[in-house]
Amino acid sequence: MKQTEYIYLTPMPVRIWHWLNAFGIVTLIITGINIRFPDILNIFGTYKAAIRLHNTAGVVVSISYTLWLIYYLFIAGTLAKLYIPTFNDIKTGIIRQVFFYFFQYFKGGPNPHHGTPDNKFNPMQKAAYLVIMLVLLPLVIFSGALLMYVAPLREVILVVGGIKTLVGAHFLIACCFCAFLFVHIYLATLGHTPLAYFKPMWDGWEKVEHAHADPHGDSHGTVHDEASDRNRVAGSPATMKTV
Amino acid sequence: MKKIHAWKTLPLVLMLALLSFSAASAADTANDKCLSCHSNRDIINKSNERLYLDPAKFAVTSHSAIGCNTCHDSVTANHPTDGFKPSKANCKDCHATVQNEYAASIHGSKASCNDCHNPHEVKPLIAVSGSDINAKCAKCHNLGKIIKSHDKWLPQADLHIDALPCVTCHTSSKNYVITMSIQKRQVGNTSFGDFKLAKFNELAELNPINGDISRLIDKNGDRIISLKELRDFNYEVRKKDMRLWGMMMPEVATHSFQILENRWDCSFCHASGPKAMQKSFMAFPDISGGYTRLEVESGAVLDILYGTPDFYMMGSTRSTALNILGAMIIAGGLMMPIGHGTLRFLTRKNRKEH
Repeated sequence: MKQTEYIYLTPMPVRIWHWLNAFGIVTLIITGINIRFPDILNIFGTYKAAIRLHNTAGVVVSISYTLWLIYYLFIAGTLAKLYIPTFNDIKTGIIRQVFFYFFQYFKGGPNPHHGTPDNKFNPMQKAAYLVIMLVLLPLVIFSGALLMYVAPLREVILVVGGIKTLVGAHFLIACCFCAFLFVHIYLATLGHTPLAYFKPMWDGWEKVEHAHADPHGDSHGTVHDEASDRNRVAGSPATMKTV
Repeated sequence: MKKIHAWKTLPLVLMLALLSFSAASAADTANDKCLSCHSNRDIINKSNERLYLDPAKFAVTSHSAIGCNTCHDSVTANHPTDGFKPSKANCKDCHATVQNEYAASIHGSKASCNDCHNPHEVKPLIAVSGSDINAKCAKCHNLGKIIKSHDKWLPQADLHIDALPCVTCHTSSKNYVITMSIQKRQVGNTSFGDFKLAKFNELAELNPINGDISRLIDKNGDRIISLKELRDFNYEVRKKDMRLWGMMMPEVATHSFQILENRWDCSFCHASGPKAMQKSFMAFPDISGGYTRLEVESGAVLDILYGTPDFYMMGSTRSTALNILGAMIIAGGLMMPIGHGTLRFLTRKNRKEH
């Protein structure tokens, strides 16, 4: 018999952070394009409006990032577990996941990763999110903060190589975020339906069908029979519901 | 077209040269008589400081060429024991157009010519630094208050005021160029405000080729600073507590002081695009307290990193190389939905079978 199970995969604080961050990043990209190419593009009426909106979005993203870090470090305490790739992830996991996405997926092969609330991300995701969340985002926030207060922070700017280096780094990291956004949104459509992975990021619950475990499920957490069994034993009732 | 032979014009050229030389020599002789007292600190002491003239600064002014007597024509042979106070020319006598323009401006009733210009030290605009211009304004306009009032509408007002002479926005001056100069960190201080324009003597201590300050950067002495020379200098300068600082200077100044409506719009400067930022100069201090500028290779301000590492105008001085690199990164990201998406569409049957 076909049994549908729901797993509470994404807690509310994470979801609030995610959408706040997403909205902030998109705003930063659009205003950033306006700021860099004002002679070509003028979306916000005045240049100053684009700058003020960019600065505001930057502050919002910085605050939300700080809250995210505090949540994962001190409240959930799962930052290292979720985001730091294990030795096996680096040794074989990433290659296996890349092989799946770029070869096995097209042949209809199964996803080698089965997500659980404790292990949501596949090795490729872990590596990507580690770079994004713990390297690029702090760097873009730091460079952005320096660029918001150039005169008072001139000494620091000189230490990092001058304003040209700073602007260059800020711009290239922003381009990385833009590239990541395309990849991120696209990969999120690889569930059993194109919107399957968007739903848990909206209401927190991941739908899992046991009789027809989705072999193409992405690392966002499609749980297969075996993984669900493990959850059923280990998971608390608050994190699971069966329909 | 009628050919003009050089030998025919030669006598005329020689005569004109002789006349100007004679006039200049006569002025110099008369000036020397005046300066023998007025540039002598033993005679002109601190109690009558306003009568002192720095001979080096006066020598490079256009007023020096016309001679002291042109403006102070009532000086008698018995000066200063004749009991008369020498006359002073009115600036308007020679600079009527400028005077009228200035009088009609919002500043006209606030300060006289002499409040901003010392006629014995006056220099053309290209021989004055933006910081010196702002220092004149700061004699009446308190810098802190100016930053505060601009902060109400201008993002990073402190940075703008540091990179722009006031006249760039408050007169209808046109044709802006980026003029760079060497700044030196003041001894014993570490905060930003303590980078000041390096003086002639400070740069002379660095032993430039032939004692020529400009050769600190212009190594080959061709009077044009190439991008390579600029980059090399920027590599060297880091160890010496110095930096290059750029200001957006007008090529021609006007005296029509006003609050221009279009300057409220940031795009006036920031949306001018990289094409407008091709021309820049490097200003070197000279012994008279003025500056001599050399042209910098076209596009140096737009160099990716080391052309002007500490000068950047958002929107205008963006580097094309960085834009291309950024576009490649974004294109790499787009490859996933486009490339993978296409293969995904073409192989959709494989997944349905499962």
